[in-house]
Amino acid sequence: MTTLPPDVRLPAEANRVVGRSLSHRDFLEKVKGSLAYADDWWMPGMLYGRIVRAQVPSARITSIDVAEASALPGVRAILTAKDVPQNQIREEPSGLGIDPVPMPVLAADRVRYHGEPIALVAADRPEIAEEAAERIIVEYEDLPGVFDAERALDEQAPKVHDLGNRVVEWRFERGDVEEALRTAFVVVEDVYRTQHVDHAYLEPEAGVGWIDERGVLTLRVSTQVIEHVRDIAEILRVPQSRVRIIGTYMGGGFGGKEDMTVEAHLALLVWKTKRPVKMVWSRQESLLARSKRHPFVMRYRTGAAADGELVAQDVRILGDAGAYPMLSSRVLFAGGVVACGPYRIANERVESIAVFTNNVPTSAFRGFGAMQVTFGYESQMDQVAEALGLSREEIRERNFVRQGDPLPTDEPLSTYVAVGETMRAALDALGPRAKGAGPVGRRVGRGFGCNIQPYGRSVFFADRASCWMGFERDGSLIVRIGVTDLGGGQAASLAQIAGEVLGVDPARVSVYIADTALTPLAGGTFATRQLYMSGNAVLQTAQELRDRLVPIARDLLDVADGHELVFGDERVGVQGDDARFLTLSELVRAAENSGVMPTHLGTFHAETGEFDPRTGKGRTFPDYTYGTHAAEVEVDLETGVVEVTRYIACHDVGRAINPSRVEGQIQGGAVQGIGYALTEQIASEEGLVGSSLFADYLIPASTSVPDVRPIVLEIGPGKGPFGARGIGEPPIGPPAAAIANAIADAVGVRITELPITPEHVLRALQASSPVGEEAPRHKHAATS
Amino acid sequence: MSKQPLTLTLNGEPVETWVWPHQTLLEVLRDELGASEVKYGCGEGACGTCTVLLDGESVNACTVFAVQVFGREISTVKGLMGEDEVLHPLQRHFIENDASQCGFCTAGMLLTAVELVRDRPAASREEIRRGLSGNLCRCTGYTKILDAVEAYASELRAGEPRRNEP
Amino acid sequence: MYAGPFEYLRVSSWDEAVGLLLEGGDDARAIAGGQSLVPMMTLRLATPRLLVDIGSADEPRIARKDDTLTISALTRHTDLERAPEIAAACPLLAEAASLVGNVRVRHRGTIGGTLAHADPSAELPAAVVALEGAVRTLGPGGERRISSRDFFKGYFTSALEPAEVVTAVEVPVVEPGTGSAFLELVRRAGDFAIVGVAALVKLDGPTCARARVVLCGVGDGPVDVSDVVALAGEPFDERAAVEAARRSAAAVEPSGSPHASAGYRREMVAVFVRRALLLAAQRARAADGERR
Repeated sequence: MTTLPPDVRLPAEANRVVGRSLSHRDFLEKVKGSLAYADDWWMPGMLYGRIVRAQVPSARITSIDVAEASALPGVRAILTAKDVPQNQIREEPSGLGIDPVPMPVLAADRVRYHGEPIALVAADRPEIAEEAAERIIVEYEDLPGVFDAERALDEQAPKVHDLGNRVVEWRFERGDVEEALRTAFVVVEDVYRTQHVDHAYLEPEAGVGWIDERGVLTLRVSTQVIEHVRDIAEILRVPQSRVRIIGTYMGGGFGGKEDMTVEAHLALLVWKTKRPVKMVWSRQESLLARSKRHPFVMRYRTGAAADGELVAQDVRILGDAGAYPMLSSRVLFAGGVVACGPYRIANERVESIAVFTNNVPTSAFRGFGAMQVTFGYESQMDQVAEALGLSREEIRERNFVRQGDPLPTDEPLSTYVAVGETMRAALDALGPRAKGAGPVGRRVGRGFGCNIQPYGRSVFFADRASCWMGFERDGSLIVRIGVTDLGGGQAASLAQIAGEVLGVDPARVSVYIADTALTPLAGGTFATRQLYMSGNAVLQTAQELRDRLVPIARDLLDVADGHELVFGDERVGVQGDDARFLTLSELVRAAENSGVMPTHLGTFHAETGEFDPRTGKGRTFPDYTYGTHAAEVEVDLETGVVEVTRYIACHDVGRAINPSRVEGQIQGGAVQGIGYALTEQIASEEGLVGSSLFADYLIPASTSVPDVRPIVLEIGPGKGPFGARGIGEPPIGPPAAAIANAIADAVGVRITELPITPEHVLRALQASSPVGEEAPRHKHAATS
Repeated sequence: MSKQPLTLTLNGEPVETWVWPHQTLLEVLRDELGASEVKYGCGEGACGTCTVLLDGESVNACTVFAVQVFGREISTVKGLMGEDEVLHPLQRHFIENDASQCGFCTAGMLLTAVELVRDRPAASREEIRRGLSGNLCRCTGYTKILDAVEAYASELRAGEPRRNEP
Repeated sequence: MYAGPFEYLRVSSWDEAVGLLLEGGDDARAIAGGQSLVPMMTLRLATPRLLVDIGSADEPRIARKDDTLTISALTRHTDLERAPEIAAACPLLAEAASLVGNVRVRHRGTIGGTLAHADPSAELPAAVVALEGAVRTLGPGGERRISSRDFFKGYFTSALEPAEVVTAVEVPVVEPGTGSAFLELVRRAGDFAIVGVAALVKLDGPTCARARVVLCGVGDGPVDVSDVVALAGEPFDERAAVEAARRSAAAVEPSGSPHASAGYRREMVAVFVRRALLLAAQRARAADGERR
């Protein structure tokens, strides 16, 4: 936790800019239509790039015939695997065992998923590139494939990679789970299944690459991570200093632009043709082949005592990693760490496994494993309550984890846990149940789900973020930092933080982001780390810069040590004496005249720690954000259609740097979660994706969801600047559980598979016991 | 295949260019006419990202071949602003309500909403919600967008639209 | 993302259109609103070498003469939604049109184009069949008037011969005392229907004088179950509607898709036919009440 030096005065009620919902330049550009995204860039002589993708999920490539395609006028390059200097994308070692399976940039002799890149085309015009791509003839010899994670575990199953189908296996254990389950008063066991879903950002993957006047290969791309220069350099076998990535403002990321999208293929085409090249994925290509969220099969066994105390939680997670590892190891790690939920349980065991299949590779997506398990543990909590005859609130109140309690890794939670407060606030906001029977033919139900979501990268990564900050002569400020902007106002919040510490109006702060040549690296925008890392980097750099200028100010104002200086409103003054002040401009000039540069490069180092994968013990994430969502639903008994009629989403964010934007994150995340719960699925049959039309991928429209009412609590200070906690990922976790619990409340059936389609609900209703008969202790839906 | 001449009025200005028949209005606006404020979202007409006004009526630019609209009037989000880039009241409401996060759906959303309120000034929030159901947004959850459009509509009904400084 | 190359010609009459389509043969297609055709071409699912733009071949026009409405093929869905003539004579058509896609699709899509495309999940074909409309065409052999009953031949297949185009749709004005309803099951507003029902009910006191029910989304084209519904001359009440709906569900052979299995679609036919019949009857009574 960053501590503030004594002469910084930030009384909570007097925060000038933090805590205010200020707008920022980029939002103005967005409503005017003048913000240039990755596709909004043209260069003289620019070519258009296109990927040729595999049409089958598991095969040997026997031949690639490019003759017809090459003959098309306007085709400038066709590349296959042999043209790639180092045909491998390796995940960085996780510190916990290296993922031994690299992903080829272009498939050489083996295809492992429907949509895998096989060849590249660059042409004068985009339709020529598309035509050429269609004329490249690839011959395949089908190989047996495996398309189901459970089947992939079987020794007899086809091997996706020679060394077998297991990607990673994590184990965390405390106490004696088997014994506790054996002696528990009640044990609830169930299996929960989740599906492949797509990020579906409105801006498809896009970028333009060129070689600049220094011979540096430059990519201007929509990306969450500019540090991929290292991967590009390795692929091309050029020095890392000879590759530059400029990250544009993204039209959405959600983790889908965390791994490389167009970068490697674009770089290859630029490097080969020596001309600028643009590559924009079609929406259909994106739906087919972009990495997806890991489907999880989660087996939960929850044991409780008669009085409601949870005594055991046994979780087995099986994640479908698809054809290549990507970030699977870390997703299953994150999911495993919080798989027991925000509950204090003496005996816990989590086994979190990822396996290869010949499905699309799965990787980062908002929530990152910790999101899927919320469906598991919160469905379990309601079922335990039912089994014990306790209320759903009571079972949670009795067992909520508290600051200092350990996670399954034996690591104590280091900050205040306000999950109980979020539950009470959400349920209060939902209010009492309406009296009366409800609409004809429908049943009304309510449910809620609590969650714990990590923010910040795992501490064993020794995360850091750097920032350069400097005053101009007129007291305005420039900030240079390598963050990327997802649209959540990442850059804008930094202006607010810098402005707060140095007394500069955020409108006079220019923030330059996302350029490996010009901005110090701050790490990518993912893991809800940006506020924690770059927020702290900006905070710390601003403080250090301020510290450097304070002696100059003291001198000029003739203020002895021990009197406080106050930075605000473009001036530095003396606490309690309005007459004595300097303008920032005067201070800056004075500093320069004394040989003190009014600039500073700072680096924030996140807390570090170690984790032992063999024992499953050690330090994991720096901190967590807690929340509760409550939903009211109406279930149409004849059609199974579930309508969400009311929705409350409450999170303790520690400190809201920009309250309105925090609300927006919560609303957007909740709606994404509702889509995950009810309508979204990328369906495939034996590895072949059925439809890749956007019309068939059902993300929520405005009529699909009610207004999400956000409740922003500022209770337990977190580890971000001014005590903020990350809020990017947490809101996507609870909806699936809240809705499944509400459906169970409405019609007495428990759905354990996502998405909860009307057909699933109808089948469950038809299969459930009639009202009045003794119900089995846990009813769950057979959905096939 | 040779190009054909194309004449349009774009945001009130006459423009001329040469296009192939296979080029959609979206492609021509972006690549030939410098109107990159119109974005590609899906190419199916399903998401509303590429919304433009054709003779004052909203259409998906990706489902129209440019040659089909020879001589017609096209308005993009840039046409909403007044002289000297003064913001349209709805644009101001979008900023005030934080109705834009990543901003990619914003241009299409603004044009659809302006048309909606123009055609049905007394539209309720639910009618606004239905009217925007063809414009997909992945970031905001729609609430702040509805807040902005509602505020604009009621301001319009009260007869006091304010144009704002850029 | 990009359509293949083609020649583009814009015509100013139906005759001209037919002539050019005849010359172009298999490689030629007519385009009006383009809401189905353009995405098919940019997704490379269709690669015509000649597009004949019929958008100016006629005016969008709705004319009423005696008991028949003649609707130009170029009339857009949005025009159907708003036209007072449609609201007065066959509101079912307006209701069906309002459910097509999103507002921008409705600003471009035409009734002629939709009928010619013959998508089995589309709303307007079912509505036109329910209304017992007819399709007027012009082809190399001259004009034809094809009953809507005979117009939809199969999966994305209409009765149009090569080089033949839809020029107008004729719809009889519904009889006084008739109520109509178009209900559909969709996962999101504007999606193609999983199951759609076009229903017309004319009441004669407590008795049903006439009932027409046509479905979309459950066959190769619109499925007319009016004979199966068989309510004419029967007392009309909830039970009768339930039974008629049950019979309708038993009579259909839907296919499954990732969005909905065949069995579920069949069950939804029973639900939605009942709901549509009841709503249409309710509107019939309300209209009757207004007339008195």
